[in-house]
Amino acid sequence: MAKKATAKKKAPASKAKNRAGLNDDIGEENRLRMWQLQLEVRHVEQRLHDLFFQNLIKGTSHLALGQEAISAGFGAAMRPDDYTFCTYRGHAHTLVRGTSMTGMIGELMGKECGMLKGKGGSMHLTDVSKGAMGSYAIIGAHLPIAAGAAWQAQYNNTGQIAACFFGDGTTNIGAFHEALNFAVIWNLPVVYVCENNLYMEYTPISEVTAVEHPAADRAGAYGLPSIIVDGNDADAVFRVATEAFDKARSGGGPSLIEAKTYRHSGHSRADPGTYRPEGELEEWLKKDPIPMYRQRLLDFGVKEDVVSGIEDAVLQAVDEATEEAKASPTPPMEYAYTDVWADGGSSWRN
Amino acid sequence: MDVIMPQMGETVAEGTLTVWHKKVGDTVSSSDVLFEIGTDKVEMEVPALADGVLTEILVAEGDTVAVGTKLAVIQGEGEAAQPAAPKPEASQPAAISTAPLKERPTRDRSMKLSPVVRKLLAENNLAHTDIVGTGRDGRIKRGDVLAYLKAPNAAPTAPFPAEAPGAVSGEGITVVPFSYRRKMTAEHMVRSKSTSPHVLQAVEVDFSAVNKARAKIGPDWKAREGYSLTYLPFIAKAVCSAIKEFPHINAHIEKDHLVVFDRVNLAMAIDLNFEGLVAPVIRDADLKAVTEIARATNDLAKRARADELTPDEFANATYTITNNGSFGTLITAPIINQPQVAILSTDGITKRPLVVEQDGEDMIAIRPVGILAQSFDHRAIDGSYSGAFMRRVKEIIEGKNWVESVS
Amino acid sequence: MAELTYREAVIEAIAQEMRRDERVVFLGEDIAKAGGVFKATVGLWEEFGDLRVRDTPISEQAILGAAMGAAMTGLRPIAEIMFSDFLAVCWDIVTNQIAKSRYMTGGQVEVPLVIRTANGGGARFGAQHSQAVENWAMMIPGIKVVAPSTPADVKGLLAAAIRDPDPVLFFEQKSLYATKGEVPDGEHVDELGKAKVVREGDDVTILALGLMVPRAIEAAERLQAEAGISASVVDIRSLVPLDTQTILAEVKKTARVVTVEENPRLCGWGAEIASIIAEECFYDLDMPVVRITTPHIPLSSADELEDEMIPSVDRIFESVRREVD
Repeated sequence: MAKKATAKKKAPASKAKNRAGLNDDIGEENRLRMWQLQLEVRHVEQRLHDLFFQNLIKGTSHLALGQEAISAGFGAAMRPDDYTFCTYRGHAHTLVRGTSMTGMIGELMGKECGMLKGKGGSMHLTDVSKGAMGSYAIIGAHLPIAAGAAWQAQYNNTGQIAACFFGDGTTNIGAFHEALNFAVIWNLPVVYVCENNLYMEYTPISEVTAVEHPAADRAGAYGLPSIIVDGNDADAVFRVATEAFDKARSGGGPSLIEAKTYRHSGHSRADPGTYRPEGELEEWLKKDPIPMYRQRLLDFGVKEDVVSGIEDAVLQAVDEATEEAKASPTPPMEYAYTDVWADGGSSWRN
Repeated sequence: MDVIMPQMGETVAEGTLTVWHKKVGDTVSSSDVLFEIGTDKVEMEVPALADGVLTEILVAEGDTVAVGTKLAVIQGEGEAAQPAAPKPEASQPAAISTAPLKERPTRDRSMKLSPVVRKLLAENNLAHTDIVGTGRDGRIKRGDVLAYLKAPNAAPTAPFPAEAPGAVSGEGITVVPFSYRRKMTAEHMVRSKSTSPHVLQAVEVDFSAVNKARAKIGPDWKAREGYSLTYLPFIAKAVCSAIKEFPHINAHIEKDHLVVFDRVNLAMAIDLNFEGLVAPVIRDADLKAVTEIARATNDLAKRARADELTPDEFANATYTITNNGSFGTLITAPIINQPQVAILSTDGITKRPLVVEQDGEDMIAIRPVGILAQSFDHRAIDGSYSGAFMRRVKEIIEGKNWVESVS
Repeated sequence: MAELTYREAVIEAIAQEMRRDERVVFLGEDIAKAGGVFKATVGLWEEFGDLRVRDTPISEQAILGAAMGAAMTGLRPIAEIMFSDFLAVCWDIVTNQIAKSRYMTGGQVEVPLVIRTANGGGARFGAQHSQAVENWAMMIPGIKVVAPSTPADVKGLLAAAIRDPDPVLFFEQKSLYATKGEVPDGEHVDELGKAKVVREGDDVTILALGLMVPRAIEAAERLQAEAGISASVVDIRSLVPLDTQTILAEVKKTARVVTVEENPRLCGWGAEIASIIAEECFYDLDMPVVRITTPHIPLSSADELEDEMIPSVDRIFESVRREVD
């Protein structure tokens, strides 16, 4: 309870000082950007979902419908040269770094235009040029890797930070604990973000975790403050992100943030989510970040045509990207044999 | 004792009898190789396992029969002959004999040739039996083959000693370097001698009948064609005719089989004025008349000496005749032109006293007589076959109405 | 040339590369102030300081994860995993992350790092601190695998590994740390992916790696003296990339091959090489390829039992003499 109090203590303080309207500490520009990012994530993911059912995308895919405010809030708070590390549920975090929608949709469709040349797919989306340093499909692996990227920033004194996103289930794997301890003792500029959507996969996280708040309640073990944020409110997310990034950039070391949220879809494409208690989804749909944020913008006095204009532009961009991806050829066969080694090839012998 | 198809492996149910090494009536001893069998897994020589006489063969070469099938009968000394059993149907399962083999035949380890040894043997036309294995249980090692090839006089494809003494001309010595053709001939001759077990057979032939034809058209021929009508085309014609009755003479040996040809492509060994030897081919000689053969021979000889022959004119010979008669030789033992199975030498034909039978009485007559000598490859044919062929050649030369043939 | 121990060669190589390239950093357990549990990193912290030579907690996933993250963002980390057995606790980072990231991202991510680890037996440490695990590493596409047998090769190959743009798993044989050998003075950089014929011979080729190399050489000397068998010895040095040209050339020369492997029997590196030989120079073979390996059994700690398992000079000598006749 004491840890929860920490979070509560912080939130009112910033509210009292800053929430004066559209042009408060966040400001109109950031808000419109977060509106756009949330819409991009939502519409791209829905498009991916549709393409699955047209059998144009194979394999698996883990959607984050309902969790868009987290990636949008953090994404808007990042510098272009910061690093993002995310999981197999990583369409959102990669997209908010400004990567190409065509590259992403094309990658899932297995096309030549795919951002990974058709060699990674949904679970490994990466765009190094945008600081999206990879989507990691083995739970926990990217937490120490993010620490390593932060080490580079610290070593070269670049002022960059690494933001590392993961789910609630990750808090029970060893790498989570190794990475947090490591980041703290080396005082690394890394921000760990646990998106607690209540389910590790199919099993409620509460059934398999010793503490109520899987990340926040463990923060104290590593000497970190316990931070919980409403993961369906992009503004709230933006504020904690900014604070954690500032701390990291100024040599204050790592942070661990738990963002409460809910995924509207199942764990993966194969999961209808039938294990959820009746009415739970409906309750969370009422807190859907996107209609909420739209209403907030209108309440702040942003004109309807501006709000809708952004949404129309996003939908058009998604449509165009979809058509481009569909029109792209399949990857040339030689792609199968390239990029194992730095010389571009795959030979293991002379 | 009954000879049965042995079991050559746990999972082998039948075997193919590939070769009989003995025939009915032969005396065999227990260690003699009696036959060879093959399965999808192994090939094996099987010893007789008993002393006695092979009295019956019940399964023919090439037949596949079940393990345990009775293949033959060896009658031991003092053992009563038994009535012949009916020949079993191929592949029909037969009761497995309970009589154990005296010794389970296994291939000895020296026969397990490593890949590199097989390669070296093949490349050098060697048989594994040429090499003494020094490895475990007599296994032939690569080094054994290499040592064999290095040893003087042993290397069939190395016709010259690897390290020749460094002789130089002068001081009563003239060093004559071998021409390319000389070297090729040397290589071929050494290889042939090491590949084929040569057997020489000769017949004495009375050429009186041939002379009648030569006398009749010879002068005109010489005037018209510009060269003499020799004995050679007549001999060649006779050989082609005899081959029709003995086709295995006109053949090649390939690996473990004989390739027999319908047509006779007759190679004629031609001396290049002591500068070497070539053997161009008269194609389809069996379809040609004596005079056509005469013209073809003359044409080849002329062009050979002018070095005008094309490689095609040396290809696909099936039998070779070498003519040494112009030097008056008595007999020549020729070396087979590989991969053919036989070669004929024609030697000097001279007037000799010959015992002839006339009106039931023996008398001495003066006849043109010469010796025809054939070397044959004993892998392909036996002396009886070759001898019968030679007898037929002689009969044709002596008995044919050659005057009709050339008129 | 100076005579150095194998462990001094490790120190020289790291120091050489850290002096040359500011991007080279070094992390691991007890490697800085303590100088390493095998004393193979003594003096590096003193020379290069806290920022570049860093002690870590006992967190192998964190060590390799951090090394990877640093490598993919521009540093050239050297990470030490104290015993190669411990690779099992961070194998995800090695095999799923480090080895595959370049490929999975269509070439976007580079992971130029070196994982150094003390490999192999002979030190009576028992089954969890004695394994030769080079064959584990060899099975993974995307990671280079190097195992030197001499101080000179340690220096040259470790320097080459640090400069290599691809991830390299560098196996140091812990029983060799105290061995001595001539090492070139000054900057010394070798080439990855090259085997070395360390003893010429005509009758049989012995392929060996790491600790098995000096044993193979000693066995070859005895084969010559006692059995008249002339054995060539090839130090494989690098399993990935594999110098098949040198190996196959030796096989063709002698027609007989014996592998001497410290890894356990099944899927040891010799099995792969035997299959390459069978495919590519079957017709040059004069005897079946023979593998001498540690049996497929966890290692024991007692002197006699451990010595029984790991291929010894006697075992190599006897096996080769028996097979080559």
